[in-house]
Amino acid sequence: MPNLKEVRNRITSVSSTMQITSAMKMVSAAKLKRAQDAIIQMRPYAVKLQEILQNVSSSLDTSENAYARQTNGKNVLIIALSSNRGLAGAFNANIIKKTWSLIRNEYAGHNISVLSIGKKVQDAFKRTDYNIKGTDLPTNLNELFDKLTFNNVAPVAETIMEAFANKQFDQVVIVYNQFKNAAVQAVQVEQFLPIIPTASEGKSGSVDYIFEPSKEFIVNDLIPRSLKTQFYKAMLDSLASEHGARMTAMHKATDNAKEMLKNLKISYNKARQTAITTEILEIVAGAEALNG
Amino acid sequence: MKLEIITPDKKLFEGSVKSAVFPGSEGSFGLLNNHAPMIATLKAGTIELTEESNNKVSFDVKGGVVEVFKNKVTVLAE
Repeated sequence: MPNLKEVRNRITSVSSTMQITSAMKMVSAAKLKRAQDAIIQMRPYAVKLQEILQNVSSSLDTSENAYARQTNGKNVLIIALSSNRGLAGAFNANIIKKTWSLIRNEYAGHNISVLSIGKKVQDAFKRTDYNIKGTDLPTNLNELFDKLTFNNVAPVAETIMEAFANKQFDQVVIVYNQFKNAAVQAVQVEQFLPIIPTASEGKSGSVDYIFEPSKEFIVNDLIPRSLKTQFYKAMLDSLASEHGARMTAMHKATDNAKEMLKNLKISYNKARQTAITTEILEIVAGAEALNG
Repeated sequence: MKLEIITPDKKLFEGSVKSAVFPGSEGSFGLLNNHAPMIATLKAGTIELTEESNNKVSFDVKGGVVEVFKNKVTVLAE
């Protein structure tokens, strides 16, 4: 039979843990809301940009673009997006697992570098041969998630694009958690560079636009813009997924703590009951002995 | 004409304007009502709008692209 005091101590500790997890859940819910809003805010921009780009490039060969260069080169850059903090269920583990699987399977035999954004992947790859080094790419990008705005993200995307244009890498992929809903995140591997030529659906070109200054100029201006938007979207998705994953994890933790508390209460009451019974027995026995 | 300025972070402006002046890549240009469909890129500069109430508004941009279609102007700015 567990000791009365022991059980009481455990009840205190479990209920304070529960308080923490439920507070964390609430915080994540609020942050999730904000991250989701940012995704919604960005959507009209991304949609319109895609629309214009499709419109302009439908009659143009974009394969000449610096960002469309298709090579058989073996230099691959994997950009892995994770969070800075843990306690988010399998959120970070999934990213790390997927990145390893990319290194070992899909890109086996390639010359791979991993650019990690977020402390958790950085910790996982810091001591491996794949950790990015000897390049002018930014290495400490963890604070990016603290203040996620387009203006902060764009320079990072630009340096990556520049490295690709300089033939430092032949392929760039992003591994991130795509946000489906608060409870579901899907690990996504997206090719960032070279750009995949958009299949023109043929329905565009119905409007005769004036292009100022020229079609080629506009396309060359729009492609980097759309790449930056794509990168920003991946970051936003990852952030929203992180908060979603943490919210779910903390919700489960709170539920488990509740369950545990219930069981502990039962054993506490049992122990209390036993203690009382024993005490009465002792008193009665003592009285009997006196009456003897 | 209706004009919208959208950035990746938020919508900066939405409303009817009388005229608009943009910092085009090849020099600044103005738009009035019933302009022909056009797509143009912008360089860093200031967008100046004159609202229906003759109220002037201006926005600084780092670059962007403008689409004009049927009296609806969409500015994707950065």
